[in-house]
Amino acid sequence: MTSIAISTHGLTHRYGPTLALRSLSLEVAAGEIFGLLGHNGAGKTTTVALLTTLLRPSGGTASVAGHDIVADARGVRAAIGYLPENVQFYDELTLMENLRFFAKLSGIAKPDARIGEVLAFLDFEGHHTERLGTFSKGMRQRVGIAQAILHRPAVLFLDEPTSGLDPEGVRTLRETVVRLNGEWGTTIFMNTHLLAEVTRTCTSIGILRQGELVHQDSLSATLGAYPTEQALEAAYFEAAA
Amino acid sequence: MSVLTVVARHELLASRRNRAPQLLVVMFVGMVAFSAFIGWMTQHTVSGIYRQVLADGLTTQPNPFLDVAPLFFARNTVIYVVMIGTLMAAALGVQSALRDRKAATADLVLSRPASVRGVLAGRMIGIGGLLAIVVAASTVISWASISAITRAPLGAGDSARLAEFGLLTWVLLVGFAALGVLGGLYVRRETTALLAPFVAWAVIAFVLPQLGTAARPVSLLNPVAAVPQTSGVFHAVSYVTGPLSVTEHFKTASSAILEGSSGGFPVASVAVIAFFAAALCAAVVATSPSRLRGGTSE
Repeated sequence: MTSIAISTHGLTHRYGPTLALRSLSLEVAAGEIFGLLGHNGAGKTTTVALLTTLLRPSGGTASVAGHDIVADARGVRAAIGYLPENVQFYDELTLMENLRFFAKLSGIAKPDARIGEVLAFLDFEGHHTERLGTFSKGMRQRVGIAQAILHRPAVLFLDEPTSGLDPEGVRTLRETVVRLNGEWGTTIFMNTHLLAEVTRTCTSIGILRQGELVHQDSLSATLGAYPTEQALEAAYFEAAA
Repeated sequence: MSVLTVVARHELLASRRNRAPQLLVVMFVGMVAFSAFIGWMTQHTVSGIYRQVLADGLTTQPNPFLDVAPLFFARNTVIYVVMIGTLMAAALGVQSALRDRKAATADLVLSRPASVRGVLAGRMIGIGGLLAIVVAASTVISWASISAITRAPLGAGDSARLAEFGLLTWVLLVGFAALGVLGGLYVRRETTALLAPFVAWAVIAFVLPQLGTAARPVSLLNPVAAVPQTSGVFHAVSYVTGPLSVTEHFKTASSAILEGSSGGFPVASVAVIAFFAAALCAAVVATSPSRLRGGTSE
């Protein structure tokens, strides 16, 4: 039986009078790369903020890696990694100082050894003593991935991970996501508004429109229904519009 | 390693790399070192004038500065603490809170298995640690300067009183640092967040004392242990603003500590300063996570 990594039932969130997420119910199986598609303002970031316990839901329930996002928020946080959109760091600190801080916050007993392993996995060695303020967008994104996987989380949340990256950076990130999923078995929940990213990386997809989930299926089933790129794009725009 | 220790160490490291508060720290420690010299210069100048007056036969009274206590030379430090030290502490606090908000690292921190209260308490411990280092350094400099000027090491009693003064200074500075953190956490716009604690600082350090002690202008710039009683309107205003005039209480308590006032330990003034610091630290720790995140888009 496939275990469920993420499960939501009627998950709802309001910002004052504005309904940002409307009764979201979805399931993501462990070991999947799930892509949540939607236009800007569809509620993708709110969904991730709720699932990472950064926001409390206005209604509904959700669990991540078997932990309830309200009743056991700390359990959720121990089991997840999170890469926000346009990730930033302490620019005046070095790469090691930044990662050491986040590793210790995650309760890692020997942070330097773990940081070394993760940076080797990401093929990002040789920058240990450089200050983050000197890093390019692509380098920062790799540091962002590094801080998110330091504690080997069961579920990794990526919010618009390719935003602002050049084609080389996009390819590197895509390869990293696939390797994390394949080699570490990490379940990945990825927000994006880029259809191409989902079709190249994800194993299942959901489409969010104005806070409402209007489509969820495996990528293979979706591609079976819409075999050409044009048909898929048309279906996405129709669903997300 | 606990969250408190991790965040406190991170706070110390990040503050060490921040230029603006560093400048204020250097200025503060420099002024403390200079204050003993100013005290010595004052004594030297007044004694010179006294000798001239004595030579001219205009007085037969003994030189009042001959029997001055060694800690007299630390009196100027009290004013530097009020004017520069508190401002430095508020700046450290604002910078600390704004650092996370500007770098948008709050989400990375809050998505870890660490309590928000632990993170905020750790931050205050880190700032408190930094201020303890600054105050300890300035106390040592003060001790050395006074010993050099009086050409004898300070005695045990005077050293203990100087240490007491250092401790009181630290408590006051922690309160102002917490005020700065609150400004950085609660005010949305960066410029206003920087400005708000400084306005509060100006009100506490200047406006409230003016309202309460304008009847005794000497005590505005000098630490006076036994504050003369007022009456009428000034008494009524002092009654209301007195407990809020934290820096006035600091001047009164410091003077009593440094001069070894016959009135004993200034319990009431010390209690006001301790309550000020404790209440503001508690307010920092009680801040909700949404304040740290600085709002969420989408």
